[in-house]
Amino acid sequence: MKIPRLTTLVSVAVLVVLALFPVIGIPLTWLNYLFLFFIYLALANMWNLLAGYSGLICLCPHAFVGLAGYTLAIGTWVGVPFQVGLIAGAVVAALFALLISYPVFRMRGIYFAIGTLILPEVLRVWFSFWRPVGNIYQGMGAGYSVTGVAGVTLGDTYWLGLAIAVASIFLVHIILRTRLGLGLKAIRDNENTAASGGVNVFQVKLYSFLIAAFIMGIAGAAYYIYSPRINPVGGFSIRWLLMPLMATVIGGEGIEEGPIIGAAIVTFLTFQLAPYGAWSLFIQGVILIAVVLVVPQGIAGFLRQVGAYRFPLKLFQAAEGKIHKNLK
Amino acid sequence: MLETAVLSVDRVNKRFGGIVAVKDMTFEVQAGEVLGLMGPNGAGKTTLLNLIAGVYRPDSGRVLFQGKDITRCAPHKTCHLGIARTYQIPQPFTHLSVRDNLLVTATYGSKKGDTFELDEILDLVDLSKQKGMIAGDLATISLKKLELARALASDPTLILLDEVAAGSTDAEIPRILDITKQVRKMGKTIILVEHVMKVMVEAVDRIVVMDKGEKIAEGTPGEVMKDEKVLAAYFG
Amino acid sequence: MEDFLVGLAPPIIRGILLGGLYVVIALGLSLVFGVMKLINVGHGDLVILGSYFAFAAMGWWGIDPFLSLVMGVPLFFAFGFFVQKFIINRTFRISLDAALIACFGISIIVQSLCQAIWTPFARSLTTPYQLQTFAVGPVTISLRYLLDFIGGLAVMLALREFLRRTYLGKAISAASQNKTVAQRMGINPSRVYSFAFAIAMACAAVAGVLQGLTFYFTPVSGPPFLIISFGVIIIGGLGSMAGTFIGGMIFGLTQTLGAHLSGGSMLVQMISAYLLVFIVLSVRPQGIFGR
Repeated sequence: MKIPRLTTLVSVAVLVVLALFPVIGIPLTWLNYLFLFFIYLALANMWNLLAGYSGLICLCPHAFVGLAGYTLAIGTWVGVPFQVGLIAGAVVAALFALLISYPVFRMRGIYFAIGTLILPEVLRVWFSFWRPVGNIYQGMGAGYSVTGVAGVTLGDTYWLGLAIAVASIFLVHIILRTRLGLGLKAIRDNENTAASGGVNVFQVKLYSFLIAAFIMGIAGAAYYIYSPRINPVGGFSIRWLLMPLMATVIGGEGIEEGPIIGAAIVTFLTFQLAPYGAWSLFIQGVILIAVVLVVPQGIAGFLRQVGAYRFPLKLFQAAEGKIHKNLK
Repeated sequence: MLETAVLSVDRVNKRFGGIVAVKDMTFEVQAGEVLGLMGPNGAGKTTLLNLIAGVYRPDSGRVLFQGKDITRCAPHKTCHLGIARTYQIPQPFTHLSVRDNLLVTATYGSKKGDTFELDEILDLVDLSKQKGMIAGDLATISLKKLELARALASDPTLILLDEVAAGSTDAEIPRILDITKQVRKMGKTIILVEHVMKVMVEAVDRIVVMDKGEKIAEGTPGEVMKDEKVLAAYFG
Repeated sequence: MEDFLVGLAPPIIRGILLGGLYVVIALGLSLVFGVMKLINVGHGDLVILGSYFAFAAMGWWGIDPFLSLVMGVPLFFAFGFFVQKFIINRTFRISLDAALIACFGISIIVQSLCQAIWTPFARSLTTPYQLQTFAVGPVTISLRYLLDFIGGLAVMLALREFLRRTYLGKAISAASQNKTVAQRMGINPSRVYSFAFAIAMACAAVAGVLQGLTFYFTPVSGPPFLIISFGVIIIGGLGSMAGTFIGGMIFGLTQTLGAHLSGGSMLVQMISAYLLVFIVLSVRPQGIFGR
């Protein structure tokens, strides 16, 4: 019998424990906390895929989140159940990414950054005026409530969030070990060399862009099932860019475990600073600058540099060795 | 056009704004040949390589590779068809290991996708010991070797070498010559841009000389070195 | 048909005048981009901060916004100098991405600061002369649009003379064209960068006053101006002041003509500028006049 690696076992154990939380009576505040963590984690993993591994600093996550959220919300008003709307939202986000990919990938570096920043701004204005169904939302501008989610419990959305977060980790893990991941890293390091080496740069960028848009979309739609009200300012809020960006920078760009650490910190900060209103973002902005100046490689990068993993790794390997010996 | 010509450049022109980089360029390269490309700085040699590789599109004229018109092909396309190139100033994938650098072109550029050959290539260019090293940490000489290795990894038919010997010491030049000869023995066709005369003269079958974007001479090394126009271009 | 053409005159004039505002806003961004190849994504927010500063001066001390610039310009200058010196210069040693992220951090800080102090409620610099209009022939011109144009012209010319005539100005020009050569001439690039950013911030203070007189603003009004400024310098081409001026006009006209031709649609007015920038970015990022 093949003994699975200890790291895999530990990961699965953690997963099982997390999955059991809603059933074993964990306080609801914890579930709220963790749900937000899962959403931020999924967004951060995708942002890391684009910025950390492909060299694409994309400033439009809030376009994908908002579009998916609106697809979900409007869907529920025209008879599309939210379960379908969830997937539909992700698909719409990916289609949008496909639509803009040709003009957007003609832009490099800072032009790409600003070019992608324009998109959510346009969408926010558009959805402030476009009102395909329903009456004017009571005094709140062009917002929609998400209908038909009355039966959804916090536990349900928690599991949804957990599934999405796990899928995002899994996806990044797999991509990095395949052809696509190699191509992305090559493009990040030197786009021209990659092209002359046979990499179809546009196609590879497109694949990662579509994947990121889909996952960001599904995470966004999941959020709006959990918090079933969307309006242009909230749906296309710059928070949806700031959170994954901060999580990736604080955790460590281009490192697999970076977003996990970063998202945990960002979620913690969001909750701890919530009572301070607008000052909460102020403080987070200061932290962002401080991290970029002092620990630009992120916490995971720092840990790797100082070899912090060596000790736990040795423990793991020793434990694995003992288990193998005992089972022989 | 002869049947055996691997590459045929036919009256290719390219200007950038007001500057003529390549003018009315025409020549052929036979299969298995090593063609040298010479000329003073600014003659348009690298631009010509870029035109062949697909980085630039000619304003007029054609480039034919094994009979196919590749004039409008993008760089990744020409790589798939069998053209590999190195850069004058090495352009490695800085965060990837030496072996992964080759893996990129082997995975994306070649039809075979054989990865065990990578170790043989690394052996050929004396980089076997560094195969796990991060490319960004290599010395310049090793980076130049990596350029060549990366080009070979895509299993090309035609290799465009841009000053692979530049910056090498006298002691290293025989090894470079040796490697070039081995690549030729593998059946590859080579276009070699070089300033180091020793390499140029000993490695190539024929030379095309450029000046100010135009071809001013073509022939064996012996013929070309005595050509008045060539001497004038270099020495005024 | 004739009526239609005649009817175009007011929005065209308004657009040209409004362009002056976009020129002032874009100048700061252009200076920083030209000197250190950095797009300060917080630039729009810093201009809005300028508007809020003038607003505060009006509210607390009752002084006219233009008068508040006597305090505002040196304050913003000093602020810019220190931000560049202690933050952005340091990020350059790490990576260009780090600088971009730092600027994003500044953007967030400024936006949230304004929100914390002045709430999300829309504000405006309301002065006695702000809404004044006067007639020139058949056309009515708003005073504040005229001030925008004069302001744009004045700041642009002042900046141009500064860059040409003063030692610091010439040092900035030199460093923006060739850093290594400038260094060999004894110019300290980091110091030059600090002054350049400081001047850009001073321009932002002026831009803030003009902006606040022209439009309502909220803490999140920054990014639209960033995008438009970016569009201005892209269309105008880097390094060309005349280009920047024309770029500003183009965006002013896009908005006023867009509003006019769409029957006053706010949607068109706001989106048309964005779409213009997007199209230029994807088709010809080097601009119409650029090198």
